[in-house]
Formats: sequence, C-alpha cells, structure tokens
Amino acid sequence: MNKAALRKQATSYRRFLWQAARDATEGSAWFYAWMILLTALALVGLHAWAVQMRDGLAVTGMNDHVSWGLYIANFTFMVGLAAGGVMMVIPAYLYHDHEMHDLTIVGELLAVAAIVMCICFVVVDMGRPERFWHMFPFVGRFNFPVSMLTWDVIVLNGYLALNLHICGYLLYKRFLGERPNPRWYVPFVYLSIFWAISIHTVTAFLYSGLGGRPLWNTALLAPRFLVTAFIAGPAFIIVVLFVLRRLGGVPVARRPLEILVNVVRVTLLINLLMVVSELFTELYGGGARTASGHYLFFGLNGANALVPWIWTAVGMGVVSAVMFLRPGVVAHPVWLTVACALAFTGIWIEKGMGLIVPAFIPSSLHEIVEYFPSLVEWQVSAGIWAWGLLILTVALKIALPILREPHPEREKASHTVEAAPRADAKST
Amino acid sequence: MMLRAAPILIGVALVSVALAGQWMIGGGASLEGRGGAREVRADAEGDAAVIARTAPRVSAGLVDYHGVEAGVSCMTCHSTREPDRANGLGGALPKTFHQGLAFAHAGMSCLSCHHADDYDSLRLADGRKLAFRDSQQLCAQCHGPQTRDYLNGSHGGMTGYWDKSRGGRVRNACIDCHDPHAPAYPALIPVFAPRDAAARQQAEREQRHHRHE
Amino acid sequence: MSRRTALKALGATLGAAAFAQAIAPLTEWAADMSVDEYLQKHYKELSPVDLAMVIARLEQRTKEETGVEVHIGDYRPQPGVKFGYALNLSICVGCRRCAQACHVENNHDRPSGNSYIRVLEMQKGSMDLAKGRVNYSGPVPNPEKFYLPVQCQQCDKPPCVSVCPVEATWKETDGIVVVDYNWCIGCRYCEAACPYHARRFNWKKPEIPAAEINPDQGYLSNRIRPQGVMEKCTFCLHRTRQGKLPACLEACPTGARVFGNLLDPESEIRWVLKNKRVFVLKEDVGTQPSFFYFFDE
Repeated sequence: MNKAALRKQATSYRRFLWQAARDATEGSAWFYAWMILLTALALVGLHAWAVQMRDGLAVTGMNDHVSWGLYIANFTFMVGLAAGGVMMVIPAYLYHDHEMHDLTIVGELLAVAAIVMCICFVVVDMGRPERFWHMFPFVGRFNFPVSMLTWDVIVLNGYLALNLHICGYLLYKRFLGERPNPRWYVPFVYLSIFWAISIHTVTAFLYSGLGGRPLWNTALLAPRFLVTAFIAGPAFIIVVLFVLRRLGGVPVARRPLEILVNVVRVTLLINLLMVVSELFTELYGGGARTASGHYLFFGLNGANALVPWIWTAVGMGVVSAVMFLRPGVVAHPVWLTVACALAFTGIWIEKGMGLIVPAFIPSSLHEIVEYFPSLVEWQVSAGIWAWGLLILTVALKIALPILREPHPEREKASHTVEAAPRADAKST
Repeated sequence: MMLRAAPILIGVALVSVALAGQWMIGGGASLEGRGGAREVRADAEGDAAVIARTAPRVSAGLVDYHGVEAGVSCMTCHSTREPDRANGLGGALPKTFHQGLAFAHAGMSCLSCHHADDYDSLRLADGRKLAFRDSQQLCAQCHGPQTRDYLNGSHGGMTGYWDKSRGGRVRNACIDCHDPHAPAYPALIPVFAPRDAAARQQAEREQRHHRHE
Repeated sequence: MSRRTALKALGATLGAAAFAQAIAPLTEWAADMSVDEYLQKHYKELSPVDLAMVIARLEQRTKEETGVEVHIGDYRPQPGVKFGYALNLSICVGCRRCAQACHVENNHDRPSGNSYIRVLEMQKGSMDLAKGRVNYSGPVPNPEKFYLPVQCQQCDKPPCVSVCPVEATWKETDGIVVVDYNWCIGCRYCEAACPYHARRFNWKKPEIPAAEINPDQGYLSNRIRPQGVMEKCTFCLHRTRQGKLPACLEACPTGARVFGNLLDPESEIRWVLKNKRVFVLKEDVGTQPSFFYFFDE
C-alpha cells in the first residue's frame, strides 16, 4: 500500500470516528434524558468507588468470612451475558441463516458492553487495582497456567478484542459504503463463538476447582453457567430488539425472534432441571458438605438472609418458563418482555447472590456470617451497570443505520413482524 | 564477720518473735503450697533450662532487713513434734500453718510425699529423701506418660528457642501449673474474645434463639 | 454557535466538573504513594541493595507516621529446616492466649481484634466443625467440650498459592507460605481457596497505637501491612528463622503446642509424629498440611 492510500485511509478512519461521535451524542430529548440518567448513576458509582479506594474495602459488607460479594456476583453474571450474546450467533452461522446474521452485531455489541462491565466489577473488587501491571508478562509475574484467574484474564481480554474487531470492522465498512469482506470477519465470528463458550467455562472452573468450597466444587457448574448464559443473553437481546424497533425503527424479523425464544424456552427448562438436581443432591445426601445449600434454600441455625433471594429466583425461573411455553409468544411483545425480564432477573440472582455468596456461608471453619451488601457496594454496582448500558446505548446508536438497512433476504421474507412507528425518526 | 551476720540474726529473732506471737493469738501464718524460691538450672540434657524450687518456707507475713519476705523452714516446727503417720490428706492438719491449701490428690497422705524425718525434704516411694528442687522426680513416679511427654517437649509451657544450638529455653515445672496438693488444672477465664462479624452475628442469633424459647 | 452546540458544551463542562468531584477521594488516596513504591519489583526479583532501600523506606515511613523506631529484617529460610507444628488437643484448655499473643506479636489491627488463630470450642464426641463455636466464654475448659485452635496449616499443596494470579504468595523452602504485601493485588482469590480460614485481608489500614507496635519485624511477616492486601500466619518467621519459638507457643500455658524442624529426626515435633497418633484437618481436600493435631487419651 502506498503512502497516499494510507493517508486516505487514515483520514477516512478519522472521519468515521467523528461520525460515530456525532451519532452517539445526537438524539431526541428522551435519548438525552436516558444518557444523563446513566451518566449521573455512573458518576455516583465512580464516587463511591473512589471513597472505597481511599477508606478500604471495609466500607463494603464483605469481611474475612464472606470475602466476595455483590461485585463478584455481578461479574459472574456479566460473563454469562457476554457469552450468551455471542453464542446466539451459533445458529446463524451453523445453519446459514441470513436473518440471524443481523443479530450478530447486536449480540457482539452486548458482549463488548458486558465484558467492559466484567472488567469493571473485577477492578472494583480488588484491594490494590493500581498494581494491575503485576500481571503483565515480562514486567510482572503472571501465574499462568496454574492460576485459573490468569486464564480468565486472557479469555476475557481476548474476547473483548475479538468483539471490538468484529463490530468495528462491520461498522467501518458500512461507513465507507463497502461490502464487508467475509474473510476479515467471518473467521473471527467463528472464533468468538468458541471463545464465548471458553469465557464461561473458565469462569466456572475458577470456582469449581476450589476443594474448600463444596457449593462450587461441582462438575455441574460449567454446564449450568453455559445454560444460564443461553437464558440471560437471548432474553436481553429480545428486549433490546423490541426497544430498537420502538425507538429506532429497526424492523424485527420473525424468524430470528422465534429462534431466540426457542433457545430461552429450552434453556429455562434445562436450568430448572439442573437446579432441581443440585437441590436433590444437597438435601438427600446431607452432611457438612451440603451446609451451604441448606443455608441458601432453607437457612441454617436461624440465619436465612439468602432464602428470599433464592426462592425469588426459582419463582422467576418457573414463571418465566411457563410464560415462554405460551404458543405464539413471539406475537405478544409485552408478554414476552415480561417473561424475558423475569428470566433475566432470576438468573442474575441465581448466579450472583445465589451462587457466589452462599459458598462462603458457612465459612471454611463452619462459622455462619451473613452478608448484606453495603450502600457503597450498591452504588458502585449501579454505577457499573449504568456505565455498561451507556456503552451499549452509544454502540447501538452508532450501529442503527446498519440495522435499519434493508436486507436482501428480509425483503423477500413475507412474515416480517410489522415495524412499529418510528418514534424518534426526526431526531436520529 | 560477726558484724555482717548481725542483721540476719536480728532478723531471724524478730521473725521468731512475730511467729510466736501469731501462733499465740491464733492468726496463723500461711503456707504457700508451691512456695520456695525459683531457680533456673539446666535439665538432664543440659540444653534447656527448667525452673526448680527449693524447699518451701512458711511466710511470716513480714519482710526482713533486706526487704525479702521472711519465712521459716518447715523443720522449725516439725523438729519439735512427732509426725502423725496416720493422718490422711487434709484430715486433722493443724489449720493454722497449713491454711490455704486444698487437698485433692488421689487420697494420698502428707507423708506419701513429705519426709517424716526431714520436713525440708520430700520422700520418694521407696523411702529415700528427695530435695524439693527435684520434685519432678516425685511426680514422675506415678505420672509416667506425662513425664515422657514433658521430656519430649510436648507437655508444659515453655519460652525460648526451638533450635537448641542457638539458645536455651525456660520451661515450666509440673508444679508451676499443677498444685501438688490438688493437681487438677485450674479452670481459666478465656481472654481475647473474638469481636469480628462472626462473633457478633453468632451472639445475636443465640440471643434471638433464647428469646424464642 | 447553535443552541444545541452550546448546550452540549455546557453539558460537557458540567460533566467534567462532576467527574472531578467524584474522583476527588482518589487524589487523597494517591497522596500516600511514591513512585518507587509503585514500581517496586517482586520480592524474589529485588537485589540485596533494592531490598535494603525498600526496608529503609518502610522503616522511615513507620517512623514518620507513628514515631516508632522499628527494625524490619529480611529473614531467609535456613537450609535443612522444614517447620512443623503439632497441637495436643487433650491439654489445650481453650484460653485463647495463643490468639492474643498472635494479635500482639504480629501488629494486627487493634479495633477488629484480628488474629491468625481462631479457637473453636468443639463438642466432645464429634469432629464436626459445624458443632464448634468461637465466641464461648469461661470458665474453660468446659468438661463437655474440647478446643480446636486453627491457624495457617502451611500446606505442602497450598491452594492459596496455586490460585494467586500474580505469584504474590508462595511456599518457601522451610515450608512457610508467605505473602509479598507490596506485590499482592488484593483479589482475595486465595481467601476463597483456603479451606482453613487462614487468610486475612486488610479491609482498611491497620490501626495500632504507637506504644503497642512490636518493633521487631520481618519483611515477609509482621511488619505493619498496607491497606488492601492479604496477610496470613507465617509461623512468626521473624522469630522462628532466628531459632526462636513462635509467639503462640510461648503464650500457651499448658504446653499444648509443639514446634520444630521436621527434617531433624531428633526434634520434638518428630517425636510427636512418631509416638502420637496425629491427624490433619480436612485431609480429604488434599492440602497436605504441616500442622498436626493429636490427643493424649
């Protein structure tokens, strides 16, 4: 490539970024209100974290007995969301389903936002985050491959890079008005599908490898993580699609929606089966190894702070599973949104407060110390969620033109769910 | 020579007078069962130190010219009296001089361990005399396993060095922890109660539980 | 300039101001830290000169903050020594003097009453930890109970060491698992991995009145820890690597604790292993502890 061509490319790339920045900051009053709300929340979280850095993690509800709490709970859930978003792409490429291809970009943008949130949740959980460079090869000491955490660092960052590349490439090509060259993204999409499975498997191994924590020390953990990822990811994407249709005028094809719904339908049931299996093993066997399970579901020696949480999660799981079984549920957006919200929240509880926290209760010396997240933890967590949603909103905003683009296949398809009136057509 | 000994003689005389006075008014001097001076000396291996004791002395409740607690030896009185060989533990012991002692040592009598002919010595089971400083041997006659453990460093508190080539250690003797007249280890009030979240929450739950009952 | 652009500029200004306000506590936190400290290398990579400078800096810091002259030594493992510890459960009376001695010796945070030792009051006739409790009160020993002090077991297969992402904790040749407080990133994965509740996190900067600071300190053991890092029992390596007994043993009034060199066949610890029937806690998790328990009767 000669110099002139390089310069031309650099110029157009700068123009692309400029355009993206404009797309991201222009919108209706509702858009501004939403962005201001998220920014405010993110700032509240940032402040809470700064206080936590100064005064120490003593400002959280954690202690030497329950040494991981809301942060790592959210981290675990976010890994699932990140994986779930991309694993949805599997049917698209496996079955050459062109309509599903459009979902790729939504799933991967979700993955990017979720991974950023994952990294944030790990950083706020660290006592000395400024020492992050201790992990770098050559200058630091990276305990690879013995520590599962080093695997997680690799797969999460790799996953972030992969998805940034895919999304960035597709958006840039579209900006140039060129057709994306499959050679430059399809292999990465395949890679990111396998990678998605790896991030969640590795995260499960992080916990299941610890012999001293019987609640985690189960081979079912990795499969359960994957299954719940297949619930949370698609459920979130379904809701995003509805929002995009309503606010962004993006048509939603029926078939991809049906595939998503079918995936959630099945995985919700598989997850319930897994929960029942765990519960049975805990209850029928008994013994000290099952104390955490007893604590979680029924309370132990008068300590029962997590009981309402877990039964809420189970209830949400059952109700959403039943709701998803309704025939033709795709045609009922409100019903479907409620079902997705229930499934999503249920999994959030189950994988967070219902999985990370109870492994520490009772402690390894069987002392029962209950955990209640402090205000600071809620603020920081809400801040990170707001930050992630901010990223997702901006990313979707930039991707809107691509999503609105009529797809050759779609035009042929007769059963496109009719697009809702474009609410903010003027402003965008 | 006489000049230097004079204060001591005067001291002894004073103590005798004081003791006699107390004896007459029936106040009684107290006999510390574990009394006697502590001294540090090497044990059989020569690489660790044990604390032994000289024969106990009856305290007069007074201090002498040098500020040292004044006491008289057992023989001061016992040389003037016939030993009561039939006396069991605690039975009819003169309360005056032996008060403050608890007796609970497997039903043994005083003369099981105290030498009837020389009250400043102890008595081994075969009748031989034993100096107070060697009292561990007396214990060892019956308490074989404890003695074995003690000699192997797994019974009895100590301070100092694990590495005997770098320093010695000071070890407790049997009677530092076990009153020879009532050797059961005394009950203690535990120190340093945990005050973290675990202890706090456990206490709260137990309180709730009691209220329900 | 259009109204929209003006509004955007205003928004950006307000946002920047709010951002600065939000992160203000971070500047207070960063004020404490020097560049040297931030760029300090891992303990194993420090040259003797580097380490001497680090230690001088730490001693100076303590002097500035508390006015106390402390000595921080870099005590290395002795060749031919591997430490072992045994505890006689028949004569432990549960007085908790070991836990208190640990608290004092190791410059633990005073308000939280931290200690590396936890003493469980256990139900006779059971080894079920679930039947134990820590906040018992006297008099002890309760005839229905026995007492189980638990501290770091200095495992030969330490899960805490394998999970550490940055090798901030490792097992030394004399068997002691140590933490480089200046390298730890505070992720607490080791605390989750330990089956013995042996690790402690510095949830805040430890508070110790100047008069109570133990000035005889070890770089890898009882020096005053920074905020946000892990710490643990080191068998008092600043004492034991100089041949002395650990503080918890010296505090034990009954002599329930036996400490020594596992590699010396004449040592007292070896005598215990040979002549007593010893067991280790949670043998099933495969950690291979260097801490043993036994009963007399």
